Amino acid sequence: MTTNTLKPPPPTSTAVAVQARDVVRTYGRGAAAVRALNGATVSIPAGRFTAIMGPSGSGKSTLMHALAGLDTVDAGQILLGGTDLCQLNERQRTLLRRDRVGFVFQSFNLVPTLTARENIVLPLTLAGRRPDPERLAHLVATLGLTDRLRHRPGELSGGQQQRVAVARALITRPEIVFADEPTGNLDSSAAEALLGFLRQAVDDLGQTIVMVTHDPHAAAYADRVVFLADGRIDGELDAPTVPAVLSRMARLAAPATTGAN
Amino acid sequence: MWRLTLRTTLARRARLALTLLAVVLGVTFATGGLVLTDTSARLLDDQFRTATAGVDLTVRDAVAFDSAMGVEVARDPLPADLPARIAAVSGVAAAQPLVRGQGLLEVAGTPVVPSGASVLASWAPAPTGSFTIRSGRPPAADDEVVVDEDTARGHRVRLGDTVTVRATETARLRVVGLAGFGDRGGLPNSTVALVTLPSAQRLLRLGAGVSEVAVVAAPGVAPDDLRDRISAAVGADYEVAASRDIAAAGAAAARDQLSWLQLVLLALAGAALLVGAFLIANTFSIVVTQRTRELALLRAAGATGGQVLRSVLGEALLVGLTASAVGLALGVAAATGIRGLARAFGVPLPEGGLVLTGRTVLVAFAVGVLVTVASAVGPARRASAVAPVAALRQAAAARTGRFRVVAGALAAVAGPAATAAVLAADAPVPLLGVAALGAVGGLALLGPALTPTLVRLVGRPLAAAGVSGRLATDSAARTPRRTAATALALALGLALISYMAVLGTSVNSSVRQSYAEVITADHVVESARNEMLGGLSPAVYDRVSRLPEVAVASRLRYGHWRDGDATRALTAVDPATLPQVANLHFTAGNLAALDGGGIVLAEHVARDRSLTVGDELPMTFSRTGTRTLPVVGLLRDGDARALSTDYVIALDTFARLYSEETDASVLIRTADGTDRAAAERSIKAALADTPTAQLRDQAAAVAGRTQMIDQVLGLVTVLLMLAVLIALLGITNTLALSITERTAEIGLLRAVGMTRQQLGWMIRAEAVLVAALASVLGIVLGAGFAAATVRALGRDAPTVLAVPTGRLLLVLAVALVAGLLAGLLPARRAARLDVLAAIGTP
Repeated sequence: MTTNTLKPPPPTSTAVAVQARDVVRTYGRGAAAVRALNGATVSIPAGRFTAIMGPSGSGKSTLMHALAGLDTVDAGQILLGGTDLCQLNERQRTLLRRDRVGFVFQSFNLVPTLTARENIVLPLTLAGRRPDPERLAHLVATLGLTDRLRHRPGELSGGQQQRVAVARALITRPEIVFADEPTGNLDSSAAEALLGFLRQAVDDLGQTIVMVTHDPHAAAYADRVVFLADGRIDGELDAPTVPAVLSRMARLAAPATTGAN
Repeated sequence: MWRLTLRTTLARRARLALTLLAVVLGVTFATGGLVLTDTSARLLDDQFRTATAGVDLTVRDAVAFDSAMGVEVARDPLPADLPARIAAVSGVAAAQPLVRGQGLLEVAGTPVVPSGASVLASWAPAPTGSFTIRSGRPPAADDEVVVDEDTARGHRVRLGDTVTVRATETARLRVVGLAGFGDRGGLPNSTVALVTLPSAQRLLRLGAGVSEVAVVAAPGVAPDDLRDRISAAVGADYEVAASRDIAAAGAAAARDQLSWLQLVLLALAGAALLVGAFLIANTFSIVVTQRTRELALLRAAGATGGQVLRSVLGEALLVGLTASAVGLALGVAAATGIRGLARAFGVPLPEGGLVLTGRTVLVAFAVGVLVTVASAVGPARRASAVAPVAALRQAAAARTGRFRVVAGALAAVAGPAATAAVLAADAPVPLLGVAALGAVGGLALLGPALTPTLVRLVGRPLAAAGVSGRLATDSAARTPRRTAATALALALGLALISYMAVLGTSVNSSVRQSYAEVITADHVVESARNEMLGGLSPAVYDRVSRLPEVAVASRLRYGHWRDGDATRALTAVDPATLPQVANLHFTAGNLAALDGGGIVLAEHVARDRSLTVGDELPMTFSRTGTRTLPVVGLLRDGDARALSTDYVIALDTFARLYSEETDASVLIRTADGTDRAAAERSIKAALADTPTAQLRDQAAAVAGRTQMIDQVLGLVTVLLMLAVLIALLGITNTLALSITERTAEIGLLRAVGMTRQQLGWMIRAEAVLVAALASVLGIVLGAGFAAATVRALGRDAPTVLAVPTGRLLLVLAVALVAGLLAGLLPARRAARLDVLAAIGTP
């Protein structure tokens, strides 16, 4: 993989898709309590591709889960669009995920009994809505899934499965898509293809994407990298390259005993 | 390895709890049935032994057989001089004349109708009398009576009160004492009235006659020698029997009456264990599937296939032993409950301390352990076949083996084939049982192969309702073996219930139809007690037939006779009056021909015995021994059923053969122009002195005839409900396990926006789907075999299939609602799954 130097300049829009203010999230109690997030404050710009990086235990997954409404926080504020996630109950957060957020996970992205097409339109089906046929056709064609729609996940390759997941994440025209190590289980060519699709979604569709990764090559596809350490934001890097990311990660990893990879 | 087995078993407590429950229920039924019958047997033995405790020999009128269908035959009274002749035999210490009969007790104007007997007997002090005075004193004058303590307590009878005793004669008597029987306060389910000997003779209209003579041997005299001497002295017309033998025979006869209950309970135990076996096999295969990685790890670490096999079987053994122990304890407790339940359905069992024999314990453990271990053999063999590399692979879905499909298809075909054989040819009816087993076995084997198609078919409405329903259907179809086993367990219970419902309704409605077709009487008088021989006092006929509103009164009597080893019943009719209240169809001969002392047979009996008019039928009667009756007519089968038996004789013939003085029914035609209500009023007034006599319309008369069927049906259905309950717990179990397996999938669904409500609905929909599948299978299977049974029964008496649509729909509705309830807990658990943790589950 090479550093993507031919990236077009980022959109000038300064709109914020989601932001976290002084977010604290503690797991466990008493002596065993772990502060996964310890006053994290971050803004994710709309229409951009943002990567979140950090060593293991830095809180990057927790931050993503909090931003996406998958998890609650103990203190602080999360604003998605104009909505304060901390004010929402469980059901409202579920509906928000369904209608306004898209997800791509590292593995087990698809319901095994549903076909690829059914998996793609699942959020719409759950909402009792019908897919926009044009958008569906466009997504499916872009992701190269046209002849795979009737297959079940078990009959698809790992890369195809992740592409189906991307299509599902995009079908609802979500305000933001969260991808949690989306290339973690893929070989390098499939990973590259998938990252290309995410990049394309940002560039062509103006989609906001947040990706958690520990892979500098993946992070280099993003417009900007947010670094996390010990539950706090530890700097940002615009127009990241692999060497730049690597050197930042090395610095982050140094004080901690655990490596990022 | 054994310690590991123990530890893994204990680690899966929740899962095992449900498996345990399935075995426990079966063992409970088996134990409950055995304890109950052992207890009843001992209580009856005690009761009969107490009754003759102080007596060595009993002299009675000689009869060909003592009892039939649990009813002691009536014996002619002994002449008044017999006790003195017996007392004169050397070696006799005492010869006590006794009178025994039926006498209804009436307290404060209300008749006391026990489920058992209304005993009226002459008082005799110990040792010849079996009752002891608990308070007051024995009856001395002819207007005095002693009642049993239990009845006195139950109906607030005190010393000095006046009660009425209705036997052949009626008398008002003063209570001077309360009696006990052995260490009890009376006879089980009975009332006892003890009066002086002359009073008893008068009430039962015996003149100077007595029922029997109780003989006590002088000290040092061997009862056997004494028996021979008395026999020689009184002649062959009288039977001299050791009281011990009479007690044993009486107890055996009483036990016989309860043997059907033991049969029913053991059959239910079998059904429950079969249901249990499905669930056990199911749970163990799920456990093994879930433990594939663990087992593979064990294999990789050096455990042999045999060790893994023994480990799983060891787990089954532990479960079996625990379940048997619990089932045994519960069974003992359940025996009391079943006794109460039986009583509620009108089947009285003797009350008393429960008897737990070594055999019961042995059976409980053998059954529990065997069923559990046998059910686990399949899963255990699959577990031992797990390859060490499987630890690194995802388990592939099990496919239905070809052998299984072929064997299943053969068994499934054998079922209908055997059914067809029974229906088409004259194959024996029990072959239907084989057919049913074949069908169930076939379904069990074919289940996994058929389930996906069936699930999608039954689940179509669900799938159409939305993605939750669609996912529920997919989930059930995805694990066909598990779904099939879960559904079949429930289907089995529902099939039995449906079978009972359809068969019972068909028989009931056929009886009703024949009765309505044949009996044209305006009114029927019968005893409310539904005794074996009818139990209607002959006074009823005398009074009713004299009423001006009554144009014709015709009575029916029942009697028992021996046909080789079998006991059969016959009906005695009045050939002169019966045609005016019944519309009988003869295929040969006629009713009037009965007057010569002949017998009319139902058509199917004549066919089976190859008899026709002019042939002779040898019959053994208790009082008169074997007689040969000429066949004078053949009656349509349905008409014979309306008269309750397949053998019809004239009342005159009955009087020559029997000494019983009890009517079964009085059929009444009112005089022309009589107002129905007025006729009813005057008949009721005529019945005032016979409180158990009941004026019945046709529906009530039919209900009286089908009461036994209804009782057994009700009792069995309630007990089957327990088996169904366990099957429903199986649904809960299966779903809970399936949720564990699908944790990651559920997490994903929640993450992409499935609400808790939608998720709960999905799980509940799957539960309802399994219940629906089971209902369809069960009701079709049960109703189908009931239809075949009805056809087979139709050979002996016209039986039409009556499908109780309402009741079957109720079964369906209850099963679906129960399925929904079974899904509640797993649905709640699934909805509570933490989304993040679920996504993270590998």
